[in-house]
Amino acid sequence: MAEYKADEILDARGLSCPMPILKTKKLMKDMKSGQILEIQGTDPGTKNDLPAYASRTGDEYLGMEQRDGYISFFIKKK
Amino acid sequence: MSDNALVGKFKQGYESLFEQNWPLWVGAVLIAFLAVLAAAVGRPWGVVGGIRVWGDWIWYAVGLAPRPVNHLFLSDGAILTWGLLAGAFGSALLSRQLAWTMAPAWELGKGLVGGILLGIGSGMAGGCNVGGFYTALAAGSVSGFAMLIGLIAGAVVGLKYLLWEIEHVTIKSPAPKEKSGGADWTKSQPWLGALFFAGLIVAAYALSLNAYTTTGLLLVIAAGIGLVIQRCRFCFVRAFRDPFMTGESVATKAVALSTLLCLLGIMILKWTGALPEQSYVYHHWIGGLVGGAIFGFGMLLTGGCGSGSVWRAGEGQVKLIIAVLAFALSNSLFRAHVWTPTVAKAWGDPFFLPQLGGYFWALIITGVVLIAWWALTAWNEETDKLTMY
Repeated sequence: MAEYKADEILDARGLSCPMPILKTKKLMKDMKSGQILEIQGTDPGTKNDLPAYASRTGDEYLGMEQRDGYISFFIKKK
Repeated sequence: MSDNALVGKFKQGYESLFEQNWPLWVGAVLIAFLAVLAAAVGRPWGVVGGIRVWGDWIWYAVGLAPRPVNHLFLSDGAILTWGLLAGAFGSALLSRQLAWTMAPAWELGKGLVGGILLGIGSGMAGGCNVGGFYTALAAGSVSGFAMLIGLIAGAVVGLKYLLWEIEHVTIKSPAPKEKSGGADWTKSQPWLGALFFAGLIVAAYALSLNAYTTTGLLLVIAAGIGLVIQRCRFCFVRAFRDPFMTGESVATKAVALSTLLCLLGIMILKWTGALPEQSYVYHHWIGGLVGGAIFGFGMLLTGGCGSGSVWRAGEGQVKLIIAVLAFALSNSLFRAHVWTPTVAKAWGDPFFLPQLGGYFWALIITGVVLIAWWALTAWNEETDKLTMY
């Protein structure tokens, strides 16, 4: 089902702005280059915030997948 | 052109308007335009005035307050905030983004506490970051500058708290709900949205027929602001928070630009006498500074300010609905019993910046402050000097 194989999963479902981004930033710090983080979220704002965040940090925003009741976003650490 | 091609074109246009979010700078320009229109109609844009009316009426309904002076729907403040809520709700429908979003109990608690702080802070500052900062600054009130400083200070402390929280508090996510109603409901949302906006226009027309023309105009303008704000996800909180959080400056630039445009519009209205000089120059700066700091901390907890909480509530986010209710109830109480007009006045008189050296220098000073704020965050975006982690 998953297009990308995630090394870490962040469950941010039910959290609203800015918590998903804060938690993403924290987790990404401890990840290794090339690893993929999956962020599961329900906040509509995350669709804009994550790509913007990734383009600033230089990490690669891979895309998102609509799941049942939430969306999974994928970011690859630079 | 065949019918199908026409339908295709229409669909394409619709999707670019209501699938993608609009750029923030578009929102900045449109919001300034609508805010100046509201001022030209006679009631500059604010959010808390209406939120307080809601609070007054809830306290009255449960028997704990006398009958409010301001009408629940038809007072100018109330109609602006109803319009904002309605515009955001309709816009969420048009974009198929209306969804009942539940949050973990901890987050709901933050919405409650944050909402109470928003009520207190805006009570002291004479408005949220719209009425106390955006409109106040544009109207030449010195308390707007004080609130800018207070908001930044409060946002920094609030962000420090959030950083502490993610290290020390584990939040359990609620199990994801299956989509109630399925795909059909999402599909029909745009039609309901169009119907809803048509209803709003009919309501405004009906108001004008009954000698409530100003009220009708304010309803349409505020609903326009709600639509723009929801489509851009125009978030005032981000302007104060992001430079310290991710280092991004795009939201700060948008708010600074919008304030600058609104400043030009409102100053022209005041200079020509179309708007009284003292309009929205109501508060001494100390309330702006202290209230701004309390408000700034509160908005980091809730994730929404005055306008931000209302439009997210309009999308169906439960945490923000709780925040708006707490905001309304605390602001109503605080203004009735603690920071009454008499107490606020005791600090001193409000100051209208053009009294210092005329409109020319007021525009220059305000412009320089806004551009400096813009430049500082742009510099930080390059250097990350202010970014906290």
